[in-house]
Amino acid sequence: MSDNKIYQMMVFFSIWLVVGLLLGLAFKEQTRIRTAELPSARLPELARAYVQEKQSNAALEEEIRQLRQRINELENAFTSGAKQAQLLNQSLQEAKMIAGLVDVEGPGIELTLRDSTRKPTGESIEQLLPELYTIHDYDLLRVVNELRQAGAEAISINGQRVVATTGIRCTGPVVFVNDVKMASPFTVLAIGDPKTLKGALEMPGGVLADLKSVDPKMVQIKLLDKVRIPAYSGSTQFRYAQPAPPQEVKP
Amino acid sequence: MIFVGAVGLLLGVIIASLLLDIPLPEEWAAYLSLAALAGLDTAFGGWRAALEGRFHADVFVSGFIVNALLAAALAYLGDRIGVDLFLAAVVTLGGRMFLNLSLIRRYYLNQLALRRQRG
Repeated sequence: MSDNKIYQMMVFFSIWLVVGLLLGLAFKEQTRIRTAELPSARLPELARAYVQEKQSNAALEEEIRQLRQRINELENAFTSGAKQAQLLNQSLQEAKMIAGLVDVEGPGIELTLRDSTRKPTGESIEQLLPELYTIHDYDLLRVVNELRQAGAEAISINGQRVVATTGIRCTGPVVFVNDVKMASPFTVLAIGDPKTLKGALEMPGGVLADLKSVDPKMVQIKLLDKVRIPAYSGSTQFRYAQPAPPQEVKP
Repeated sequence: MIFVGAVGLLLGVIIASLLLDIPLPEEWAAYLSLAALAGLDTAFGGWRAALEGRFHADVFVSGFIVNALLAAALAYLGDRIGVDLFLAAVVTLGGRMFLNLSLIRRYYLNQLALRRQRG
């Protein structure tokens, strides 16, 4: 074997050595990234943290409820004396009714919206779209809008009172109402004239017509003599808005 | 030739996975993989050249370094300007590797056939 041949072999060997080094490093790096990205070992830990967070959430909500009650009591005690103050208290209670800060009951409807269990079938393209078979944020928004227009005085979705600051928004497979996560089935309670509310929802070409044309089982309406709708339980603090001083009207 | 290459490769992988512990930024991982791919391509190219009797160490070594750096640089540039340029490197290198491997395979099959004829 000539010197040249040995030299060639050495070069060949060292190149393969470096290739091996690079491949080994790349392999190790990719493995490290993959294990770092999916901490499957941490899943039980995360689940525990989730449950804990949920429990502390419930405890805090209970605290909010108790504090609200205390405020109510103080308000009542404060105003029980003077007649004028009593009127003030009355208007305060009215304002709280409008704001949705008290539990209310009265005649109304119970509307249940659920994802269809049917598989997309049919001939037209519209009937084959899978998103038509699930309830979305816009379905709820249109229902709430329609109910308000039909004179609903109080509305809740899965126990969450719909108030002036309520947001209804899809995030992936869940819908957030008042920053509370929920998924199908959605139970919408509304207080108002039951027949008017039902009629408004079932108007031909109305808010529920599309859903019913896909699968009638997605929609269910019950007329009720007595519906109880819970008070809004979220934060009522205003961080940015402040009462503005009266503005002079220019002629 | 196969033996020398295999020993080198094995040794490299062992050293990298057991002895070397270089903490690299995550963004570099893709470029490292691409450089490894380019190196592998050049190594196969060198093997083929050796079988065809036109192996030049200088071409081989310079090709190895330049290809690896170029592939990584191209991928980096692609990332910066929002074009998946690394795909071009992957396709080119992968295609050439398959070509070289098929030529290497043919060479050894021919050798086998020749030996049978003689034997």
